[in-house]
Amino acid sequence: MKDAIVVRNLSKRFRRYHPDRPWTLQEAVAGGLRRLRAVEQFWGLRDVSFTVPVGQVVGVVGANGSGKSTLLRLVGGVGRPDSGTVEVNGRIGALLDLGAGFHPDLTGRENVFVAGVVAGLTRRDVVERFDSIVAFAELEEFIDHPLRTYSTGMQMRLAFAVAIHVDPEILLIDEVLSVGDLGFQRKCLDRIAEFRGHGCSILLVSHEASMVRDLCDEALWLSAGRLVLRGKAGMVVDGYVKQISAGGRQLGGISTEETSFAAPPAPSAAEDRQAAKSSVDQNRLGSLELEITAVRFLDEEGQEIREFHSGHPLRIEISFLATRRILAPIFQVYIFREDDLVCCDLNTEGTELKAAQVEGRGRVALCLEHFDLKGGLYYVDVGSYAQNWAYAYDYHSSLHPLRITGEGVETHRNAPHHWEISAGIGLKPTASELEPAGGANYGD
Amino acid sequence: MSNIQGAWHERRPANLVYVRDLFRELIARDLKLRYKRSVMGIAWTLLNPLTELLILFVIFGAVLPLNIPNYAAFLFTGILAYGWFQNSLYFATNAIVGNRELVRQPGFPVLILPVVTVASNLIHFLLALPILFVLLVSSGVTVTWALLALPVVILLEFMLTLSLAYFVATFHVRFRDTQYLLRVLLQLTFYLTPVFYEASAIPEPFQWLYRLNPMVFLVESYRSVLIGGQFPAPGNTVIMTLGTAGLLFVGLRVFMRTSHRFVDEL
Repeated sequence: MKDAIVVRNLSKRFRRYHPDRPWTLQEAVAGGLRRLRAVEQFWGLRDVSFTVPVGQVVGVVGANGSGKSTLLRLVGGVGRPDSGTVEVNGRIGALLDLGAGFHPDLTGRENVFVAGVVAGLTRRDVVERFDSIVAFAELEEFIDHPLRTYSTGMQMRLAFAVAIHVDPEILLIDEVLSVGDLGFQRKCLDRIAEFRGHGCSILLVSHEASMVRDLCDEALWLSAGRLVLRGKAGMVVDGYVKQISAGGRQLGGISTEETSFAAPPAPSAAEDRQAAKSSVDQNRLGSLELEITAVRFLDEEGQEIREFHSGHPLRIEISFLATRRILAPIFQVYIFREDDLVCCDLNTEGTELKAAQVEGRGRVALCLEHFDLKGGLYYVDVGSYAQNWAYAYDYHSSLHPLRITGEGVETHRNAPHHWEISAGIGLKPTASELEPAGGANYGD
Repeated sequence: MSNIQGAWHERRPANLVYVRDLFRELIARDLKLRYKRSVMGIAWTLLNPLTELLILFVIFGAVLPLNIPNYAAFLFTGILAYGWFQNSLYFATNAIVGNRELVRQPGFPVLILPVVTVASNLIHFLLALPILFVLLVSSGVTVTWALLALPVVILLEFMLTLSLAYFVATFHVRFRDTQYLLRVLLQLTFYLTPVFYEASAIPEPFQWLYRLNPMVFLVESYRSVLIGGQFPAPGNTVIMTLGTAGLLFVGLRVFMRTSHRFVDEL
């Protein structure tokens, strides 16, 4: 089946104007036409590619101004990208603005008609669905009152009710779900789940990490218009939340900073390779400045294994190649079951890597002293990130399956473990000494 | 490169029923909003041109008499025709800027917004027509077959106004004081249009210049159809039709070429 949404190398440039850019003719004439020209251009979206398969819910997270709303609008066909393509296969329903076409002076009933038609229904469609819309919004008593007497939550309920009655095959939702009260939010989420059951695909922007985690199959993390990370929702949200709480420099910002062009500061060679790679490999993502070249699973004897027996030690070895000197990278190992249940999520934060820099080839290994997951098929995702989770250097999504046999627990989030940083060519400690032979151990 | 453009019709019921419904709802919204909170409602539509009629009739009928036959009907024809033109353009400045959420709605045909503006003002024009007919009949004007040409004249004015509305709407997105400039221009064209005087009063050497204003032809056509009982001159009508069609084409093109940027500028 065709994917619902296919976005390829989408870029959108915005013009930043002179702060005194005239908004009136009078000023334009008085100030000379000079200032009319854009002083600077910046990328609202830069080279973003992803697909939304039919029936999937994909969340978009990122700081304010990171390009989330721009992305949703471009997918909806509003505005024109500067490069790249958007392919949309299906009828779009959208909740981008709270109640497009709503007017405070019209009654709820009148607004439903305007909004319904604006959203793509004929009048007859609206008439047929009217009762159901009002019932869903729980506004039967107020429907003939002017909209200005409604609370924001009530308006949002009405807007949401209209949007879902368009029978969308693709639903775009921008940040509006958080307006309603909890009960209604629950109802919306249930309806979204139901939609998805019917094969409706959803692209959803939300600031609420938990909502994206619970609702979405996959998630996109945008920063300064770039796709930092794409993958399982839980994993992406974890990364995002960590970056926020690490107080990492917020790279987002249509309005504020000059970093838009600079992040991530990838050398052009790496960018080229990324471009070449991302087109062949949907499961890889990142700037590839710190590329993960191999991932191996080893047993206690150091033998490579494909199948692991629960309760034994497991060593996950990550080989990397840093194309330039990189300070304080973070490595992450994320283990989830076939059905997306997150079983284990560990990273090198807090280890000596924080004060180290790597260059060239090297290796890190996660040593799980005993790992007790119950039998089944699991996937091990690995990722490398810039300092403070600012963005991803490389991420392997669902590339490394691991079959586990034997009895055990459902999740083993706090499995006893330590990280081993191989003292290869790559590691150049800045602060601490490393044992020359065996490697340094950093406990949990 | 993008395959987004022009795709709205693929995602919507691209049939006439839908377009008709969209028009109907948006025009109804326009009308309701303009009169919703006033007691007199739609009567306001009529009050404005009637006041204007009264003022001009007193001044140029009695104080400074121009001695034009059937002056009340003559005046009201000009006032209604010019009023439609003027109000449409004036409201067109807000067609895009005032409908930000619609412009941002995926798949919404932005193209329709200036049409809605001109059409809802046409409704005001049509609502005032019965009064005009009362004036015509009471001044003893005989209605002839030429009345059949009235829809053609209305259509021509619609096209002319719409093409200018596209320019005005586009321009106002960029320069938010277009409205004030427009007000001045419209006041000027009011005097350059034979609303309360006869076009023949303009001295011969300036006639050609004067007649470059398409509203001159339109107002005269309304009068010849309604009062004079004559069809408009076929030659001029053809020129006018071709001219407005060309203008509409250019206006539409300018609008469409800039419309994808509206969302960034709002």
